[in-house]
This record gives sequence, structure tokens and C-alpha cells, in this order.
Amino acid sequence: MRRIGISLERVSDEALLAGLMTGDPEIAVAFVRRFQRRVFGVAIAVVGDVQLAEDIAQQTFERACRHAQVYDPRRGSVPTWLAAIAHNLAIDAVRARKATPVDPVDLENMMETIADTPERHALSAETAVELRRVVGSLPREQARAVVLAGIYGMTAQQVADFEKIPLGTAKTRIRSAMAKIRASLAIRQADP
Amino acid sequence: MTGNGVFTCGQFRGIVAELALGLLSARERAEAMDHLEHCPACREHVHELTATSDALLGLVPGSEPPVGFEDRVLDRLGLGSGRRPRQGGLWRRFALAGAAAATGLALGGGGWALGASVGRPAPVAPIVSPAHPGLRTADLASSGHSLGQVYLHTGKSPWLYMAVDAEGHSGTVHCQLQRADGSTAKVGSFALNAKGYGSWGSPYPAGSSQVTGVRLLNPDGTVLASAAFHHG
Ligand SMILES: [Zn+2]
Repeated sequence: MRRIGISLERVSDEALLAGLMTGDPEIAVAFVRRFQRRVFGVAIAVVGDVQLAEDIAQQTFERACRHAQVYDPRRGSVPTWLAAIAHNLAIDAVRARKATPVDPVDLENMMETIADTPERHALSAETAVELRRVVGSLPREQARAVVLAGIYGMTAQQVADFEKIPLGTAKTRIRSAMAKIRASLAIRQADP
Repeated sequence: MTGNGVFTCGQFRGIVAELALGLLSARERAEAMDHLEHCPACREHVHELTATSDALLGLVPGSEPPVGFEDRVLDRLGLGSGRRPRQGGLWRRFALAGAAAATGLALGGGGWALGASVGRPAPVAPIVSPAHPGLRTADLASSGHSLGQVYLHTGKSPWLYMAVDAEGHSGTVHCQLQRADGSTAKVGSFALNAKGYGSWGSPYPAGSSQVTGVRLLNPDGTVLASAAFHHG
């Protein structure tokens, strides 16, 4: 038997998510504090507007509360799950707004960030390093296509318009990039 | 497998990346789903690419939200500004909506299962005089072997959470609380998967006597594993 008094800061992500459903404000605070950078980071990257990003981040935590009981740890970690919720909401917002989804300068910054930034929350350090290596080694046009589609939520047609390339070419670039990234992750999993 | 849906596997491979990235129109998605229903191989492929898409999002840098964000989220959840629990807040409605969504489940036993579609959100534990605050953890053990971990949060709305890895066991297990006064109470039940893995959490009634142990029971009432808590 072990007896350790531990603070909420040290509780596992899953346990904190479970505790969220009690409606205890202390747990909710700990949960929001732990994941707000991750959630807001995804929202602001996609929508590029602080106020809209905040609203999306708030909605993300609302949904997390509402759906805590259906979270499935086998499908991904809690931060991954939250990032996916925030991403879906952000993409919906961008599409509803029908604005040009991406400022080319933002895209360039994102490409750099993805290749270089060491700080990470949602991925294990090794996975992030490997993933960054793979994205970095993709042909430039494939990396752009997969970032435009995978992070900014552009459809293949929007990627085609943005890059001024035929639709078929956009689809091929997205598909090839995803296949390469998938293959590298699969190798990592097979060889832990 | 080919030809069961609108797409063949070959055609499906052409759109699977866009499907996983959520880029397809509703109609294209419906056609893709038709194919997936009949094709486990392509289903697996979609899962892998969805994980790829999630991993890609993991590369997006974190960013500090504006000042006051935390308070505004708590307000939105009906939980006040961190230290002022408001009853009947939004989150309670969420819990009820979740309960409604999980209809068909027996109402006995509380708790929700994580990673399984069984279970229901439990009702709010009654607010009683503050018990010993803080969180404790103990090994869930069976004849000296650890089969997992139990977290016990003994605040004013007490809850517990456990992660179980009991190879060789699967199916429904029951969670029982033991209190200092010798009484026991079932808190709920959940399922271990085929590999013996399961995680589950539930609020529990604060009661007048401290929780000294948590037991995991087999359906026949025998003890699968137990955890002991000593309150100091
Ligand atoms: Zn197929």
C-alpha cells in the first residue's frame, strides 16, 4: 500500500477529466489551467483572431465537460482529444465566416514553427521530433498542402485555388504527404 | 473487399486522406461511410490517418489565452470564478444531457465509464461539511501484485477514479467502498476490455465515515483487487 497525498497538479489527465464531471470548481480550474495553452493555441492558429479564438477555446472546454463520459483513451490522449475538438470548432467558424482562411505570412510562420519549435504538449517529445523531421523532409509543396489542409482545414479545392494548381494536383499532394507522415508514425509504433 | 459500397477500395484510397482530415462534403462523406461499413481494411486505414491528422495538430504551438480566460470559462460552465460553486450550473445540464444520451442503461450504480459506451454520468454528490480535502492514491492490488491505481478525491464533492490493468480478467466489475465504521457501499460498475484494461470514475456520497478502502469485485462477489487508504 502506498499513501501519497497528491495535489491536483499531479493527477493524470484522464483522472482530471473524470473529476471534471463532479462539477467541483477546483477540478475545473486545474483542468482549464492544464490545457488552455494547447486549446487556445490551436484556435488562434486556425482563426487568427483573438476574440474568436477565445470563444472557440471556451466552447472547447464546454464540450469537454459535456462529453467527458464518452472520452475514449484508446483513441488518443486528453490533450489530443481537446485539440481535435478545438480544431473542429475553429474550422467550422472559419468556414462560416467564409473569409480567406489563411494569410500567406501566417502560413510561412506556421511552416517554420512546425519545423522548429521545441516546446510541445500534446505529443511525446520523440514523436514530435520524428514528426517534425518527416514534415521537414517532405517536398515543400507537399508540406504546404498538408499544413493548409490539416491545420487550416482547407478543402482540396481551396488548396488548389490558394496554390493556383489543378484540383487533382492538390489532392495528390495532400494524399502523398499524409501517407508519408502516417508511415513514419507507424514505424515508431512498431518499434517502441 | 471491394464493390460493396459506392466506392471500390482503390477509389476509397483516393479520398481517405481527405476523409481523415475532415475535408469532404457531406455527400462524399456519406458515400465513404457506405464503403467503410463493409470494409474493415479501409476502416483501419482511416483510423491510422485520423491519428496522423491528430498528431499533425500536436505540432501547432501552444499559446497563452487572454488574461481572465480561466474565470470566463468557469463562468460559462456555471462554476463561478473558481471558488464560488453555483448550483444548477451549465455543467449539471451537460451531465443530464449525457445521462439522457445514455438511456437504456440501468439507473442503479453511478459513475461513467471512460473508454466504453456503458455507464452514465452520476448525479451530483451531496454537498456536506468539508471532509478531508486533497487527493490520495493507492495501488489496486491482488495478492501482492499491482493491478492498477485508485485516486480518491475527498473534497466536498468526493469522487474516485481508477485505472485497471488486470490481464486475464474481462467483463463487468463492481466497485465497492469500505468505510472506517465498517460499512460498505457499491459505487457502480464498469467493464474491463478483453485485455483486462478499464478506467472508470465516479462521484460518491461523502457519508459520515471516511473511506478506508476500495475494492474491485467480480460479478460473483469475490474480490478481484483492493486498495487501502489510511487517513492521517
Ligand atoms: Zn475498402
